[in-house]
Amino acid sequence: MYRTGKDVNMKDRILAALERLHIDEYIITEDQTRSAELFFIKKSLDTRRIKNNTSYSVTVYRSFDKDEQPMKGSSMVHVYDSMTDAELDKTLSGAYLAASFVCNPTYELQEKTVNEFIEMKSDLQGKTLEESAKIMADALFAEDKDGDAFLNSAELFVNEVTTRIFTSTGIDAGYRKYYVTGEFVAQCKEPQDVETYQGFRYDSLETEALKAKVRRTLDYTLARAQAKKAPAAGNYRVIICDSYAKELFEYYTARSLAPYIYGKYSSFKLGENVQAKTADGGNTEITGDPLTVSLIASVPFSDEGTRQIDRQLLDKGVLKTYHGGVRFSRYIGAEPTGNYRSIKVAPGTTSVEEMKKQPYLQVVNFSDFQMDDFTGHFGGEIRLAFLYDGETVTPVTGGSINGSIIEKQASMQLSTEMQVEDGYEGPLAVCFDDIAVAGE
Amino acid sequence: MKVKNSIFLEDNKPLLKEFLDALLARYDYASILATDSISRNFSVSKMGTNINEDTVLTERGFCTKVYDKGQACEYSFNSISKDSIPTLIKEIEERLIPLGNSVPSGVTPYLFDEVSEETTIFNESTDYEQDPEELGDEAIIDLLTRISEKGRAYDERIIDCRVAFSYQKYSKLFLSRKKDMTQNVMWASGYFVVMASEGEEIQDSYKPVSMLGGSEVLRTLENSLEGCCKTAIDLLDSEPIKPGEYDCICEPDVTGMIVHEAFGHGVEMDMFVKDRALAQQYINKPVASELITMHDGASTIPEVASYFFDDEGVLAHDTIIIDKGILKTGICDSQSAMHLKKDPTGNGRRESTQRKAYTRMTNTIFEAGDSTVEEMIASIKDGFLLCEADSGMEDPKNWGIQLMVKMAREIKDGRLTGKIYSPIVLTGYVPDLLKSISMISDTMQASGSGYCGKGYKEWVKVSDGGPYIKARIRLG
Repeated sequence: MYRTGKDVNMKDRILAALERLHIDEYIITEDQTRSAELFFIKKSLDTRRIKNNTSYSVTVYRSFDKDEQPMKGSSMVHVYDSMTDAELDKTLSGAYLAASFVCNPTYELQEKTVNEFIEMKSDLQGKTLEESAKIMADALFAEDKDGDAFLNSAELFVNEVTTRIFTSTGIDAGYRKYYVTGEFVAQCKEPQDVETYQGFRYDSLETEALKAKVRRTLDYTLARAQAKKAPAAGNYRVIICDSYAKELFEYYTARSLAPYIYGKYSSFKLGENVQAKTADGGNTEITGDPLTVSLIASVPFSDEGTRQIDRQLLDKGVLKTYHGGVRFSRYIGAEPTGNYRSIKVAPGTTSVEEMKKQPYLQVVNFSDFQMDDFTGHFGGEIRLAFLYDGETVTPVTGGSINGSIIEKQASMQLSTEMQVEDGYEGPLAVCFDDIAVAGE
Repeated sequence: MKVKNSIFLEDNKPLLKEFLDALLARYDYASILATDSISRNFSVSKMGTNINEDTVLTERGFCTKVYDKGQACEYSFNSISKDSIPTLIKEIEERLIPLGNSVPSGVTPYLFDEVSEETTIFNESTDYEQDPEELGDEAIIDLLTRISEKGRAYDERIIDCRVAFSYQKYSKLFLSRKKDMTQNVMWASGYFVVMASEGEEIQDSYKPVSMLGGSEVLRTLENSLEGCCKTAIDLLDSEPIKPGEYDCICEPDVTGMIVHEAFGHGVEMDMFVKDRALAQQYINKPVASELITMHDGASTIPEVASYFFDDEGVLAHDTIIIDKGILKTGICDSQSAMHLKKDPTGNGRRESTQRKAYTRMTNTIFEAGDSTVEEMIASIKDGFLLCEADSGMEDPKNWGIQLMVKMAREIKDGRLTGKIYSPIVLTGYVPDLLKSISMISDTMQASGSGYCGKGYKEWVKVSDGGPYIKARIRLG
């Protein structure tokens, strides 16, 4: 069990204040973050940083009746070990008063399940943050070999986060996780000066994955330097790949969220083939690859203390679960699952090579890809795409695509090739017919 | 009324000075930024009611910066006592300074010249009419609830009306060898978003308000509710636009998004340091129509990104970036200014004390012109009025435009036809768009209900805006 004298003291101070104020429903969260951070400009270290921060937040709950209906309000505040007891009392009582104006139908907090502290497995464990920073920085620059495309700038963050959750229902759980995040910009100056942005996040020392990502980005940047014009305006068979494939599937994770179901922002129903739905609410035949999607637990406990496990979301297009926090899950009569940031999508039946047998526009880099889970529209400005007209492949840049997942979901094709990205394991490419492209 | 000093910062100032003195005895330069900030978010919708502190903007924390033999080093922490000062020094000496060795072969630390600074001592506060804490949570929630219920009752196709109010009241203390500055600032903002549904599609319409001040901003929140409800319903009948280049008029919030995303990010001079901004090749050259004068600065207008000094202790500026179409200068944080041998412009901002400072925009605007909106619409034979800025992404390197707006209202023969197209993506080349601006309205509006990221992170509060502009724009 993880405890330090100082942390226990602050938790005990919060508990004592809650008792003084007769607040008997609460969640206390403690986050301790340590980091080592490196900021590079070309091949110089511009700035180095370290961080050591411990924060506490308290959500207080208050039950009351309004119009003879039982309500449960809540309010979250931050508290600090620099606070006096009087300040602590003032902050928590203010939150408790605020909760009395939050007229939400009553629900039960997450019940006590299992109390444990989990050290999440990572090869970052056992090394200092500074040692890990050196290993990942070496990987970051390993492919930058003074070629025409090179690293313009990069940022690297090695983090250790320890989270503890204490609730009035008896939950005393926590975990420690390590992860590496960062971003880099690749540049190529000739024949035209262009750049490509990439972000990354790994839960372990994934040096080979980072090297491969840098190599691929340098290659894309070289190609973009050759791309001179936007595709002609019109409709294209569009292949979306790399990290943008993940964003397409956010339509399904969002529309199956408990708050979306409760608010009727989504008409998804358990057992229904949501991939077969049409824009007018009807159904159509699935002619493309049926979707099989799982929610992957990236932390062992949600911020409400719910034990998180992997869950199947879609099975061949059929919705298998709703997901979300305690309040909205209770409202719709579903099991609280906690919130997920990672998904796994089963491979499709078409290889990327087969997708490319007909004319296509393969977009590998957008300036900012957007998937609007309300309207179902997806699109963005093309930074780099490869246009195949049936004879030659030409790199193009500029213009934008504008499609609707609702209109295209029944016919979309998923690649057999897979990829692992931040929060995503799934098909490398997704192919849509007849997508509008604004171009030259 | 003036925003008051933070008691927490006042109480800890002697301790922070002691820590600073210990650092100055060891390093060429040392500074400490201390923050005490509370930010609260209120919202009401069919989904329920929320009153919570903002997890990013609420903090008590410290960031110390030292230059060790010319090398830039920062340490973020959020707890200090007399007993912990030796431990903090040890962390800096034993973890932070040696972190410079965690670099690949061939990478070397950049060596900065000595920091130059002038003696500056002050304590300033912004004004407000009504403190949200004095108005009280109950009154705020009552108002938001009334607006939300009114929006939901407008039409049966409206599935929700989310109404929100936020404020941040912060105090910052900046200490260095020559500086002892305190500022106390409060801003407030609100919005409502009306959502309408038919079949599987949901459309929404959005209206923000914001100001440098307190809950008095709520007095104008309700004004556009009916128009927003109508727009959300009209959007249900919208259709995709035929891609092409059109004569367009941009509403002030769309102008603001063009100012901010399409051009503003490109004149952040940390991008000049990295050779990532095309703008650095265009200083003193025409980049826009002669009608265009562009400003950025924490003192440009009183809005949500106004302050007295930035997070590196540089006083607020009003920087004229484009003067009658000519690009004059960019905006700059302190460290980038040291790279470029320029003066900083008070644009060094951090998401919090836990994050690095970057060059960031503040309040970014185009000046107003002399046309009326009616004259501008009448001048268009076949084009669109672009409404409701949605999202945008910068491309400082290539000045490519990617902006998304909610809708384009059709204009035929100088009149709005009532037909709506949605969603709309604006693309093209920034100078082409800016040089095509042929008319500018005689009034301007700015607002700052959202946040600006540097790439995909580092969120800070900004405002942007300007007049209605008429331009030739590629839509998709």
